[in-house]
Amino acid sequence: MWDLSKRSLVRRLVLLAGVWNLVVLLVAGVFLTAQFRDSAIRRFDSALTVLTDDLYASSSVEDGVVKAPFLTDIRATRVYSGRYWQILEMRPQGLRIVDQSRSLFDSSLTIPGAQAERLAAAPGKTLFFDLMGPQNARLRAAAILTRLPGYPRPVVFIAAEDRAPIDRDADIFARNTAIALILLGAGLVSAVVVQVRVGLLPLFRLRREVGAVRRGKAERLEGVYPEELAPLAGELNALLTHNQEVVERQRTHVGNLAHALKTPLSVMLTEASQQPGSLAEVVERQAATMREQVDHHLRRARAAARSQTSGERTPVEPIMDELAATLERIFQDKPGGRGVEIDWRCPDDLAFQGERQDFMELAGNVMENACKWCKAKVRAEAVASSPEQLTLTVDDDGPGLPPDRWIDALKRGQRMDEHTPGSGLGLSIVDELARAYGGSVTLSASPLGGLRVTLVLPRSEG
Amino acid sequence: MRILLVEDDPDLSRQLKLALGDAGYAVDQAPDGEEAQFLGETEPYDAVILDLGLPKVDGVSVLERWRRGGVATPVLILTARGSWNEKVAGFDAGADDYLTKPFHTEELLARLRALLRRSAGHASPSLSCGGLRLDPRAARASVNGEPLRLTSLEYRLLHYMIMHQGRVIGRTELVEHLYDQDFDRDSNTIEVFIGRLRKKLGSDRIETVRGLGYRLTPLEGETTEG
Repeated sequence: MWDLSKRSLVRRLVLLAGVWNLVVLLVAGVFLTAQFRDSAIRRFDSALTVLTDDLYASSSVEDGVVKAPFLTDIRATRVYSGRYWQILEMRPQGLRIVDQSRSLFDSSLTIPGAQAERLAAAPGKTLFFDLMGPQNARLRAAAILTRLPGYPRPVVFIAAEDRAPIDRDADIFARNTAIALILLGAGLVSAVVVQVRVGLLPLFRLRREVGAVRRGKAERLEGVYPEELAPLAGELNALLTHNQEVVERQRTHVGNLAHALKTPLSVMLTEASQQPGSLAEVVERQAATMREQVDHHLRRARAAARSQTSGERTPVEPIMDELAATLERIFQDKPGGRGVEIDWRCPDDLAFQGERQDFMELAGNVMENACKWCKAKVRAEAVASSPEQLTLTVDDDGPGLPPDRWIDALKRGQRMDEHTPGSGLGLSIVDELARAYGGSVTLSASPLGGLRVTLVLPRSEG
Repeated sequence: MRILLVEDDPDLSRQLKLALGDAGYAVDQAPDGEEAQFLGETEPYDAVILDLGLPKVDGVSVLERWRRGGVATPVLILTARGSWNEKVAGFDAGADDYLTKPFHTEELLARLRALLRRSAGHASPSLSCGGLRLDPRAARASVNGEPLRLTSLEYRLLHYMIMHQGRVIGRTELVEHLYDQDFDRDSNTIEVFIGRLRKKLGSDRIETVRGLGYRLTPLEGETTEG
């Protein structure tokens, strides 16, 4: 229900710091308040001790009667002033009041039974305790049981004072401490939030970079990371490299298989063409089908591998140059003319977002198709059509295609011409590949009179 | 006509030898790259049919070594690998034509005939300007013996300039000789082509004469032969 491993790291760190802060501050608050209260009471008690000591020291026995000293403290004479004293004598039937301060007026101090027993048990020792005084005031008292020379019974001197002021002081202190600690806690937690956010920044950066790799905007992680994250970034890069190797290996395997099949196919085709009869026709037809299948699956293997390794940046201009020169060579014997003239244009800085071989395959097939169908001229123009896209337009001056066949021409296995051997339009390959790159191929009429093929592909900026 | 057939698959090699023999060619066979290289360098063949996937030394390397060693025999490449990447690599290595497996024997024979026809009468006078050399018959150009890869428009422009080397040629004149009359002539066409030629020839061979046009000259210290 409360899976810790799924919770946000920031929230987790802040929460832990918060709980820890709360505990520490709470303990500190309780401890400080208790300390303050204790020391206040100790000070209070020592003042009371002075009073009892005064009482005891100044009392005398005259004619068998305890004579209390005259204490000048005004608070001991004003009624219910909050400061009281009392002298009692211990009799077998209990404590009996001998004398008391005037401030007590018509009431008296009652020593709780437990405290009386403690006094009896520890004669000569000053004891401190709480008791209820006049008007229900909570008093703090100091008492001592002792003997007076010339007096037959033990005497108890007790001094008491209203403890409301120390309680009030302690409460104020506790409140102020609590406010200070709450502020401190809030400050600490916000500091932790800032610290965690700043501390985790490289992690967010790492995430962005990994995202860029996945979207094909980068090939590897290039950022510099703190020593805790650097190994992770390194491992990720190693994983990427490994992935690319695996993909590359699989691609090579598929390629090898496909190419290994082609030589035997050639043998079969040649052998069949030398034998007259229906067997030759069947073999030839089947061999052609096999060839198409092999080509198709070869392309599929390449297309499948593509999504993972498209971080490459391929300059377009040199490829156009190579293709144009190569195609002119291939088509130099084109019947009924002096070969093909390819007029191509491309900005020097235009680059394709993807692999070199793939761009070559795309542009090569479109341009070859144009060379195949043209009378003598092919025009190819690559331009940056937007920050993310490039457009390659290839025109020829051949017969062109009627508009109702434009869509069909991109479908696999469509042969537009039965006379040129082995020549589908080759555009289905282009369509498949372009789609794998999130691009498109469209056919239209060319101003040169033939077909115009427009290829839209991802562009690499910068 | 004597043909060298380089193919490692014995069945295909036997079939092709038969077909070529029927067509009237004398055929030597080589089953691997090493033997092919040796035969190609020592025997005067009229054409070579070269498979690319060979044991010992691969076909592209054999071809490169021949071309570097001055063997100009026309070469028809035969390969199972039909990607453009590989086609371009083959032509860059010096191939004259390219056929993808599986193929029909008739197509191979037709391509071979065309190849031989083209290379016939190869000894035509070449044009040169310093280290730059043009062979009008084969429509090929080279700088200091290194073959250049030119498209036909680039070649046509260079051909015109080498015919009129040393003279300043205006832009209009160049456009007129580059295109048929009815072709569009956007203003920077010539700049584009001159730029490409400079990239391929080296930037110093074509000089810009402000306001007038361009001039092709040999580099300093070079002498124009032949």
